Amino acid sequence: MDIDDILREVDPTFHAVPQEKRSLQELTRAWIAERSAPELLPWPADGLFERVNGSIKRQIEKVEEMTGDMDPKTNFALIVIQTELERFKYLIRSYLRARISKIDKHTLHYLSTDALRSRLSEMELAYATRHQALLHNHYLSSFLSSFPSGLQNLNDSAGINMVESPDLESAVFIRLLKDTLVEGRGVDSDGAMDGRESDIVILRWADAKPLVENGSAELV
Amino acid sequence: MALPLPLGLTHSEVAFLAEMELVTVVPRQRLESIDLLSGKTPPLRPPHRTDLPLWLALLLKKQRRANIVPPPWLHPASLAEIVHRETKVHPSSFSEPMPTSSRARQSQPGYAGRIGGNNNSDNGNGEVILSPPFQSNCTSSAPAGYLPYHWLEVAEALITHAGDDLGGNTSEIRGLLRDLVEVRAAKMRDSAETLGAEGTGGVVSLRGVGAMELAENRGFVLGVVDGVRKIGGAVETARREREEEMDLGGGGYGDGDSDDDMGI
Repeated sequence: MDIDDILREVDPTFHAVPQEKRSLQELTRAWIAERSAPELLPWPADGLFERVNGSIKRQIEKVEEMTGDMDPKTNFALIVIQTELERFKYLIRSYLRARISKIDKHTLHYLSTDALRSRLSEMELAYATRHQALLHNHYLSSFLSSFPSGLQNLNDSAGINMVESPDLESAVFIRLLKDTLVEGRGVDSDGAMDGRESDIVILRWADAKPLVENGSAELV
Repeated sequence: MALPLPLGLTHSEVAFLAEMELVTVVPRQRLESIDLLSGKTPPLRPPHRTDLPLWLALLLKKQRRANIVPPPWLHPASLAEIVHRETKVHPSSFSEPMPTSSRARQSQPGYAGRIGGNNNSDNGNGEVILSPPFQSNCTSSAPAGYLPYHWLEVAEALITHAGDDLGGNTSEIRGLLRDLVEVRAAKMRDSAETLGAEGTGGVVSLRGVGAMELAENRGFVLGVVDGVRKIGGAVETARREREEEMDLGGGGYGDGDSDDDMGI
């Protein structure tokens, strides 16, 4: 615990939004962003996922204990707890599946550089590497091995690049979280707009990315 | 295993999000605080009003354990005012979104700056700026005369499952909502002209649009923008090369050109 943590503890505004609610907001935002962005976004670095997963596990254990005693009063609480549990599990599942579908689509692209690899979680990285290895072995044994050795690579970038990458210029919707300048590039001209908080803006993902990364905007 | 859905939230996903909106309930039975993943629920003590997420409020409503207090913006007078504003006052733009700071102040005295997101210096210590559905836009303390981001979904859910709490004028509310849906859908379609037009500079604002309207038109709107970009791809590359040359060439000329672009 350093001085910042202590200061935060005594700062009354820090507790304005309770931790659980902040986690839910962050998780929801990460899910919406992953469902909307054309490329894979970095795995949350602050342990958000581990935190939420841990509390889901504890909640499941609690449900198991509670099902033991059949008092009608706790019964309703149990229904509420289980309903909420399902909602959380849906969020997590949908988030992970959205990521897997992006990884599946452009596996070689996300494995190509260290910067891109760092966006994947440990599990995702293991999955992507093994999946790609299996696929490559299968191709080799079924047809690639009869090709000349110079043509056996799946990631040849001489001439036309074989590694497909996501289209970073596709358009997205973002909501501005604070007043900020929004700069975009168009076909006939490049433009800028003095964005106000709560504006919903359409622009290219490549232009929206810096705003989303510094927290001035979120994908919707 | 991988999610087979296209990019962008679908209707059911938007409805799922809308169920996280807080609404105000009047409990009819006592219920102790429940320790949920999103925090402890407040203990229910009739007749004290409490704010709960919509999914929980609907569950309580179905079991007749609580009544839901409709948000002020769902009152026919407020809806009629918005219909008037959307058709007569601003016939070409969506009505203003709900202001964030005033409502945050009402629900959390003293903490308005942080929650409303008006305080720009608050990101350093990891503070999260709340956005819909976590802004208490549908509680009884939300202002009238505005539509929240999840207006259509919340209104629909309340009419379907808590119609008897709306003061007996569900058909009037339904009619007004239908008017709103139609007038706003027409605006959404008209926005396609702006999207394809010259001189937007690649940034188009749809301030005040709702979540369901976005989900409905996402494919169309983004398709238009991406289509225009692909058709004009060669033109754009040529323009960029020309501008680059100008910037490298005479400094004064290039500056004037880019200023023009900014002005548009």
